[in-house]
Amino acid sequence: MRKGSVNWILAALVLAAIPCASYAQYGAGKAIPPTGGKPATEKANAAPAPAPVHDLSGVWMMRNPPGSDRGYTNYTYTDPKTDPPAMTAWGEEKFKEAKDSNGGNYTLDKTNDPVLTRCYPPGTPRVYFHPYPFEFVQGKKFMLMVFEYDHTLRRIYTDGRPLPADPDPSWMGYSVGHWEGNTTFVVDTVGFNEKTWLDRLGHAHSEQLHVTERFRRVDRDHLQLDITMVDPKALAKPWTTTFYYENRPEWELGEISCSGDYLDFNKFESFSFKKKDDAAK
Amino acid sequence: MKAKLFAVVGTLALVIVAVPVFAHHGTAAYDTQNALTFKGTVTEFRFINPHCQIYFDVKNDKGEVEHWQGELTAPNKLARAGWTKHSLNPGDQITVSGFSGKYGGHSLWIRKLIAPDGQSMQLFED
Repeated sequence: MRKGSVNWILAALVLAAIPCASYAQYGAGKAIPPTGGKPATEKANAAPAPAPVHDLSGVWMMRNPPGSDRGYTNYTYTDPKTDPPAMTAWGEEKFKEAKDSNGGNYTLDKTNDPVLTRCYPPGTPRVYFHPYPFEFVQGKKFMLMVFEYDHTLRRIYTDGRPLPADPDPSWMGYSVGHWEGNTTFVVDTVGFNEKTWLDRLGHAHSEQLHVTERFRRVDRDHLQLDITMVDPKALAKPWTTTFYYENRPEWELGEISCSGDYLDFNKFESFSFKKKDDAAK
Repeated sequence: MKAKLFAVVGTLALVIVAVPVFAHHGTAAYDTQNALTFKGTVTEFRFINPHCQIYFDVKNDKGEVEHWQGELTAPNKLARAGWTKHSLNPGDQITVSGFSGKYGGHSLWIRKLIAPDGQSMQLFED
């Protein structure tokens, strides 16, 4: 057999061995717990159970649909090459000032990302880019969203109150929510400061940002989140996106703290790479 | 030729599976076009935020010991993949593959890790 053929066969074998799902790429090993926290339908390969009525409670983890090409959802909402957001002149100007790290453009010693350099709360909806689960905790008059990342908390009032007409600026915003039908929870959020980015690439928002989230529990194990961002100062048109989540009934949220070592990059050798000529200066 | 072939295919595989980027920071510091593989001895394992760290020693071509640091994902994610703070211990023999820094330095973004018992360890939750 020619060497070229061997190359192709080996490459094909390697590729075939790589599963599509980005979180499950390392195959079986001794550290893998039996069945893990996968949704029950995946374990049993059965049809999904229907979504319960007016109930989002539980732990949810982002998972893009199998086979989809949504690598950008790690750092922005729409494909930055083919479908970037329409920005105002103010939005464009602020975006030019941004030096992102998660998009791969700047190292940690050069970025001005407010989350990475200052441990600012990520804001809404940027919080969804952190690749950690969140939990819905339902109360009678409000819904809590507990994010594993940095213990971020959102309180979404469901007691029928309106959005404040003149909200105070905050990191995660002021939220009210209501049910549409049996399985869709709609959340409106206003009252943001201008210190956070909309995403991990550095798209800007202003205090005028209004975020609408529609959480549709497609079935018991799956959640679709449609997000619309409206900001007349920063965005020329509403920016819309969709995130997908899976229920993780066996998971418990742990601790992810942004404080302490997070900001002390030099403790992590990989964060402190400098060009040799930089080091000599 | 065999060794070269393996290296080429291995690099291809690593580049293609490099979909999940770091939770907290980007990958601009790493040379993601060239994957490296080492056999080493663990000197320390830190199960900490933001990303778990493995310190290991490697013998280079001259027989000298190089001290390397390798980075994994967050401890919560590893815990959900079955890890604990005791999953690796000083003295463990491991094989690690990943990307090192663009500007030098003995640091590795670990993309594959073979445990002392020869098994590939899961580096993300399911």
